[in-house]
Amino acid sequence: MLAQQLLNGVVVGSVYGLFALGFTLLFGVNHIMNMAHGAVFMWGAFAGLFAATMLDLPFIAALAIGALAGGLLSVLLDWVAFRPLRKRKAPEFSAIVSSIGANLILLSLAQQMTATRVMRFPFDTFPIRIYEVFGLRVQLLQLVIIGIVILMVVGLVWYLQRTSAGRQIRTVAYSESTSRLLGINPFSVNFQVFFLSGALAGVAGVLIGLVFNSVHFMMGEPLLLRAFVVIILGGLGSIPGALVAGLLIGIVQVLTVSYLSAGLADVVVFSLLFLVLLARPTGLFGSVHGGAARVARQ
Amino acid sequence: MSSLAGYEPLFELALLNMVLAFSQYIPLRAGVFSLGSAAFAAVGAYAAAILATRYGVPPVVCVVIAVVAGGIFGALAAVPLARLRGVFQALATLALVQIVLSTALNWTALTDGALGINSIPKAVHLTEAAIAVVFVGYVLHVIGLSAIGRGFDIIREDETVAVSLGYSVRKHHMIAFVLSGAIAGLGGAMHAFSSYSITPNEFGFHMVVMLLAMVVLGGRVSVFGPVVGAIILTGLPELLRGFQDYRSVVQGALLMASITFLPSGVVDTTRGWLRRRALTRGQAGADAAEVTS
Repeated sequence: MLAQQLLNGVVVGSVYGLFALGFTLLFGVNHIMNMAHGAVFMWGAFAGLFAATMLDLPFIAALAIGALAGGLLSVLLDWVAFRPLRKRKAPEFSAIVSSIGANLILLSLAQQMTATRVMRFPFDTFPIRIYEVFGLRVQLLQLVIIGIVILMVVGLVWYLQRTSAGRQIRTVAYSESTSRLLGINPFSVNFQVFFLSGALAGVAGVLIGLVFNSVHFMMGEPLLLRAFVVIILGGLGSIPGALVAGLLIGIVQVLTVSYLSAGLADVVVFSLLFLVLLARPTGLFGSVHGGAARVARQ
Repeated sequence: MSSLAGYEPLFELALLNMVLAFSQYIPLRAGVFSLGSAAFAAVGAYAAAILATRYGVPPVVCVVIAVVAGGIFGALAAVPLARLRGVFQALATLALVQIVLSTALNWTALTDGALGINSIPKAVHLTEAAIAVVFVGYVLHVIGLSAIGRGFDIIREDETVAVSLGYSVRKHHMIAFVLSGAIAGLGGAMHAFSSYSITPNEFGFHMVVMLLAMVVLGGRVSVFGPVVGAIILTGLPELLRGFQDYRSVVQGALLMASITFLPSGVVDTTRGWLRRRALTRGQAGADAAEVTS
């Protein structure tokens, strides 16, 4: 029973990690808290769903379309909501407010479009196969999800660490003025970062939509709130931190739901955030530099 | 007057929103990144509603207790929150809202869960709401003119300068949280006594966004900022009655447009413009006087 719940927690947690990764990437590079990241996730799930229902495309194509839609929406968000503020060198606060506004618009449009219905993926989008491994019931979907998350994380790390474009992104994250001196085009870097961040959210959206078999306009909100906890625990801007903390939160949540009560899950998860902030204001894995955290100066 | 009487509930709502907007305004003025007013309002509203419906406490006493409860809750929350800065503070206060919301939903013995608390006596009308707005507005105006208000302004503009001038950032953040908690407690309690019933979901993310929008749109420095913001955002849905479905779209667009094009809000931008105009006029007058003499 415990092992089974742990497995479920790892599956959900790895998707949380994927979602939080895009969120933390934006913060690490651009110092933006994108409060509309949950809406990007939701629209990614919608795009995947439409690909599967209306165009009758297979699972992999639906996933790719979800990623593409999430990425493009995220870039659009940058142009409309963040770039005007960046030009003016507005404080962090402005980006939060602006993306809350964008979030409201994206949610409301989705609600209008779907008439507040809960939608489902068609039955044959993904074959249901269940294996018995050491007494554990393992679904094929769960294995595929873990595989996809590992693949995407390895791909992202490779892109950031080993390619020229990744080096440019890391330079901008380290210091934007230095990157300008080196002749790096901030336009292209921002495009890549926002696209990657949105694509990760889009994939996470399609996966979560499949796991819980429900796609609706509010599906991004609980995930966004979880992502706050994940990135604080993992340290803002830290990629390994986001993954470890994502897994941790997934497991804590599943265990709370199965052993205590479903209603308590939120209280436990958010109290965890509070406790961590009390003990370590920059998060468990965060450093003062990495998260650009301004710890209290007394 | 008879045509205006139909709008009485709307005016009452606008006034109550002003009180809550004041609670969001105080931390933002002090450079505190708090989104926690909804949590404090929930504490005040539930304290007042429970006392009034179960123990028959008179409304005035309930409101006073709600203010104290909100203030104490604000002070307790400030102990960890005043150590944080920027986005960390924003996220932690959002977590606080979520914790209070979940508690209100799940502690059914105390709060009746998702059903909320019903048949609260109607004790707040237009007059009481107006008195509360004037009282809170006046108190905040006086605080704004005092040394504490100067501390708030300096900390908001530049924390390093504030520290170098000997202002304790932590102390001022604490004050801002306590004031925000107490005012939200008042606003929450008055909301409970005005609307007959309260449910946990009223104090969720929607309220956070609404209050933030009011203060951002109105302005963060002048006391009139939240007042104007509350009037605009309470009146707007009425004007847009025909577009009921797209209300959130308009609200979101307004939030984005105001932070992008009018970053210091309607009131503060107007005041700045008036002041500059007065200065240039004064300068022109002085020049003219020099020429003639």
